[in-house]
Amino acid sequence: MAKKWTATKSLFLSRMLTIASMAIAVITLFCIPYLAEWYDAISGNPPIRNQLIVCLYISDALGILALWQLHRLLRNINLQRVFVSENAACFRVIAWCCFAVAGLWLFMFVTCRRFHEFIIAFMAAFAGLIIRVIKNLLEAAVELREENDYTI
Amino acid sequence: MPIVVNLDVMMAKRKISAGELADRVDITPANLSILKNNKAKAVRFSTLEAICRELDCQPGDVLEYVKDE
Repeated sequence: MAKKWTATKSLFLSRMLTIASMAIAVITLFCIPYLAEWYDAISGNPPIRNQLIVCLYISDALGILALWQLHRLLRNINLQRVFVSENAACFRVIAWCCFAVAGLWLFMFVTCRRFHEFIIAFMAAFAGLIIRVIKNLLEAAVELREENDYTI
Repeated sequence: MPIVVNLDVMMAKRKISAGELADRVDITPANLSILKNNKAKAVRFSTLEAICRELDCQPGDVLEYVKDE
């Protein structure tokens, strides 16, 4: 009973955190020019405002897309639809979002030569890789469930 | 899949309805429908045994291997 309650609470917490993150990502969209200016002011390096603005807009949009997929995934889990191909598709989209962000920041690192851009790219690529492995795992689980369901 | 289930042919030969066979074999009508419509991915020996017993036939009468084109 207590375990069930904890699982429900955990799922609710995840959904709330996802919605809160989405709200922050949407608000960030309107603050990107100011963030880029602020970064240029404190970094002490030659200004890269325009590249940074483009990069942040694309990254934020991809982040919102990934969070939306996460929201769909959590909604499916809440509806007891766990081992379905729709969830694997959500993971695939999230992984590609991570890889796209990694590619973008890697390009920024190559053009602007700042180490923290490489760190962001590496972290995004690593997250994408882990999510892709989870996607492969879920696809195998969906196949097993279908085989089990269609064994008479 | 190259394995074809000819359950409907045997059922017609034995003049038995899907509902009755499902009841006798102790599987749900939905599962019998999956089997009949070649949507099943596997058949348990216990299910096959019950089908053969109720239809008085051999596994080969129900299952057929058809080469892929």
